[in-house]
Amino acid sequence: MDKYIVELEHVSKSFPGVLALNDVDFRLKSGEVLALLGENGAGKSTLVKILSGVYTKDSGTIKIYDQVVDNMNTKKAEELGIAIIHQELNLCAHLTVAQNIFLGREIIGYGMLSARKMNAEAKKILTSLNIDIDPEMIVGDMSVSKQQMVEIAKALSTNAKILIMDEPTSALTAKEIEDLFLIINKLKKEGCGIVYISHRLEELEHIVDRVTILRDGQYINSMNFKDTSLPEIISNMVGRDIKEKFPRVTCKRGKKILEVRKLNAGRMVRNINFDLYEGEIVGIAGLMGAGRTETTRAIFGVDPKASGEIILDGKAIKIEKPMDAISQGIVLVPEDRKKDGLCTKLSIRENIALPNLDIICKKAGIINSKIEKEMANNTVSDLKIKLPNVEVNAGSLSGGNQQKVVVGKWLRRKSRVVIFDEPTRGIDVAAKVEIYNLMNNLKQQGIGVLFVSSELPEILGISDRIIVMCDGKITGELNVEEATQDIILQYATSFDKKIDDNILHK
Amino acid sequence: MDKIGKQNRIKRILAVRGMGQVITVTIGLIILCIVFSIVNPIFFSGKNIANLLRQIAPILIIGIGQSYVLITGNIDLSIGSVIGMSCMISATMMTKGVNPWAAVFVTFICCLAAGVLNGELVSRCKLPPFIATLGTMTIARGIAQIVNNNYNTGSIGEAAKGFRNFFYYGKTAGIYNAIWITIVLWIVFNFLLSKTRTGRHIYAIGSNVDAARLSGVNVHSTTIKVYVVSAICACTVGLMTCATTGMGTMDAGNGYEMYAVAASVIGGVSTLGGQGILLGTVVGASIWGVLQNGLQFAGAPVAIRNITIGIIVVVSVLLDVVVRTGKHRKKAN
Amino acid sequence: MKRKVLSIVICLCMVFAVACSKDKTTSGSGTTNKEKKSETETSTNTKNQAKSKTSKVYLITMDQMDQHWVNVDAGCRKAVGELSNIDYEWLAPDVKDDAKQIECINNAVAGGANVILLAANGPDAVTSALKEAEAAGVKIIYVDSAAAYPAIQTLATDNEAAGKTAGEEMVKGLKAAGKTEGKIGIVNVNSATASCVAREKGFRSAFEGTSFELLETQYGEGDAAKSKDIAANYITSGCVGLFGANEGSTVGIGIAIQEAGDTVIGVGFDKSDTILELINGGHLLCTMAQNPDVMGYEGMKTAAKAIAGEDTGEANIDTGVTALTKN
Repeated sequence: MDKYIVELEHVSKSFPGVLALNDVDFRLKSGEVLALLGENGAGKSTLVKILSGVYTKDSGTIKIYDQVVDNMNTKKAEELGIAIIHQELNLCAHLTVAQNIFLGREIIGYGMLSARKMNAEAKKILTSLNIDIDPEMIVGDMSVSKQQMVEIAKALSTNAKILIMDEPTSALTAKEIEDLFLIINKLKKEGCGIVYISHRLEELEHIVDRVTILRDGQYINSMNFKDTSLPEIISNMVGRDIKEKFPRVTCKRGKKILEVRKLNAGRMVRNINFDLYEGEIVGIAGLMGAGRTETTRAIFGVDPKASGEIILDGKAIKIEKPMDAISQGIVLVPEDRKKDGLCTKLSIRENIALPNLDIICKKAGIINSKIEKEMANNTVSDLKIKLPNVEVNAGSLSGGNQQKVVVGKWLRRKSRVVIFDEPTRGIDVAAKVEIYNLMNNLKQQGIGVLFVSSELPEILGISDRIIVMCDGKITGELNVEEATQDIILQYATSFDKKIDDNILHK
Repeated sequence: MDKIGKQNRIKRILAVRGMGQVITVTIGLIILCIVFSIVNPIFFSGKNIANLLRQIAPILIIGIGQSYVLITGNIDLSIGSVIGMSCMISATMMTKGVNPWAAVFVTFICCLAAGVLNGELVSRCKLPPFIATLGTMTIARGIAQIVNNNYNTGSIGEAAKGFRNFFYYGKTAGIYNAIWITIVLWIVFNFLLSKTRTGRHIYAIGSNVDAARLSGVNVHSTTIKVYVVSAICACTVGLMTCATTGMGTMDAGNGYEMYAVAASVIGGVSTLGGQGILLGTVVGASIWGVLQNGLQFAGAPVAIRNITIGIIVVVSVLLDVVVRTGKHRKKAN
Repeated sequence: MKRKVLSIVICLCMVFAVACSKDKTTSGSGTTNKEKKSETETSTNTKNQAKSKTSKVYLITMDQMDQHWVNVDAGCRKAVGELSNIDYEWLAPDVKDDAKQIECINNAVAGGANVILLAANGPDAVTSALKEAEAAGVKIIYVDSAAAYPAIQTLATDNEAAGKTAGEEMVKGLKAAGKTEGKIGIVNVNSATASCVAREKGFRSAFEGTSFELLETQYGEGDAAKSKDIAANYITSGCVGLFGANEGSTVGIGIAIQEAGDTVIGVGFDKSDTILELINGGHLLCTMAQNPDVMGYEGMKTAAKAIAGEDTGEANIDTGVTALTKN
């Protein structure tokens, strides 16, 4: 039970302009959950992609079950029992759950696809993992968290013994996370080795046995989880001790900036009412699927609303499209930065310029490239964004730097309210702190800050007031002094009762 | 229990992605037929229906080929030129005394080559399909002209009578051979698309080519396969054209690739890939054929014809987009 | 990177292929190296015109694929073979299109043309291009279709008269079959090509005063298969007579009549192997055979005369049609 089933030695890999992995060692035992930790850009993604055959290493050896493996590719990896569950979902939206699970290894009977067998097998796999999904549902019609579960089922359906999970819980609800951990424990007992990549350091204690830490493409350390502590792990990851995790500033509360009254937008946004004052940060907490993102999108005008009033600085304003919100000074940093926050094929400069073209353009709508370049460079230096130059494609940056670009492009305008939706998801520790400082900065300038987050420590650490949502409604509102994780979680799970107790007793 | 089983079956059929669009356009087709029959009862006569089906046949065949390519997220603009090339190669050989069936074989090989070329350009050389097939389109048309020294051919002669009957003029069991050929091709290609591994991979590539690749799908060979299918369909229509006219015309098939796209799109095949069923292509090609035929019987002037056809294509694509976005909104709530 | 290189290579190949097919057919879009060369040539050309040994004559037709133009070209070549010092070039767009034909005219002028033999797609579209050509010293002769601009000579079929003759032949044939009334279907090419439009006009005029009903014209683009479908539909509507305005249309109506059992009278235009077969088989009554080779031959002879400064003769030469019937 204590054998090493995966041994990577002196592995290096570089891409044009970047040395992603520099002489890295990595070992995984059977029957253990190994957390692979590191800031964004540390090389975790590259390492697991080499292990699963997506990338080819430049140098070094890969040993699986004590056998050296040359020329690793995806097919070989699959044969060796290596499966990877990606951070970005890799499913075909037009196909059903069963079709996705068996993609590339379809079951054939008499030369034809055996849909019945595949559906039955898929149902078996899903049930054994306690996932309640109909295998004939079309993946594109399902919620993100359910898609994540399908991705997990797909990886496990290949009877993999070496499992790599890249941020598996980011889209899952609390119950699904519990189920996932049960599955992981089961797999551990069966002798599987699991590589667990996550930025949710607080989750680790529930599931992880050992940790391996990378920093800037280099191997730093491996430790047993119980022999170490979070602060030690963090300082290994960033190379310095972080005294405070959450920089908090206190401000005096000023006048009311924003009032949201009776906002309704479908099932996920029901009768939302709240206020936002100058000099405070309001955090919106809740589980996945509580309707927080939908609320922010309704305020910003992306999604149409059925009813509701938005009052900014005492004046009722009409918001029917994002441009209305932007021109009034309400801006949104969206949840899915790759899809909604950036044009990944355009350069950083173009992305930063995009919502600010009215500032950059001269009279006739012609872009003043000097101002544009200046704006881009200022943003990059203000937010300390790591990139070779402002001409690279936005899609090539790491998650944290991408997020900084998304935020940065709004900061060039004089906004009244900045709404952040999961601003620190998938971002390394140091970059997170910078984002927190940013929010505090805005707070101090008297700009209203609203932020949605699924990380309770973050909510408790930064907000002055906390709004908790559950199933489309606001179920709790409290000041940070009176809030604890337990209370928030309680509010976040106050679902409407579905079954009448009286009937049960009949 | 039986009633629930039946209901489930109906539900299952309706749940097939794209079926909604197919049902909508089928209703549209029925309405069109009724309207045209009222305007001119001759439209509904047995003779015209037989003719109409035979007029729909070539559009449906190339529609099948184009649908295959569209579902992978690509496009084939060379279909019209391959029709011309196929027509000219077979006719030229037959006028020079070559046995018609040998000529068919050689033509088939040439068109296969065109299909493979398309596939390689798109998949190995990573050229955008629009550009790649535009290139083969010009090359194939050029070959059609060179084959007989820039002349249309003379008559393919009496020796080709069997060939002409097989591909166009003959009837089997009271139904034109051309229609039988279409039916057989449809059955074969529909089976391939819906019931085999290759078919599944075709949809996967159109839906998310990266996910497909990471799941071990051979994107390269599947892409070549779809372009070969398209070339086979174009070859068949070229042979049909040669059989119809009894000669080779260098401009045969000119512009037909667009009819193939129209038939596919009206039938619910998405130009973005991953979606669409061949049943829809049948309805799409039928609508196209019915419009061409019915508007003539209605005595409509040319301008009205073109505008009507254009509007119907736009409306059917719009319908699909609106219905799909509507469904997504409902799901999100 | 590989992608970009390959796209450039493919584009270069297409240009190269176009340049290579110089000897018989040159597309209207021309080639870049030819234009570069001819810019230096034009200036020397005008200087040496009186003294130059070879003169450049361009034939510009409506497209390259219709057999009709191939025959005009053949006529030109025959004449060139008999004359001396003629440098001959055939230009045409890939499809019948006014704008593309204007391009061809401009290319010919830039290429140093002394004479242009033109089959104008439409009467008005090319007039300004012709004005510029004449200003550059180019002489203009029309073959098959004239434009609304003065030229040295027009050698053409009188399309309207030929159309009328076709109509009269059809009336004769219908009377002989015992029919004095019924529907007549017309399969034309498109509504823009002047020659076909004139033929239809002539055809329709032959039916004035009769009890026949002429239906709405349908357009088959000259594609034989499309024309066949249109004709079949006409036959299903109960037409007693069909008219095809050019070679492709005529083949189409012929095979439709053949399939329907020859109960319909068909009259068409142009001559080809297939059309002759259809006539001899009794499926078509007759066709108006034009004399495209005469147009090309005589047109080239006129061009040579014009270059030498001799008298070119009449302004309009009717190259005539023959009504070909079953022999």
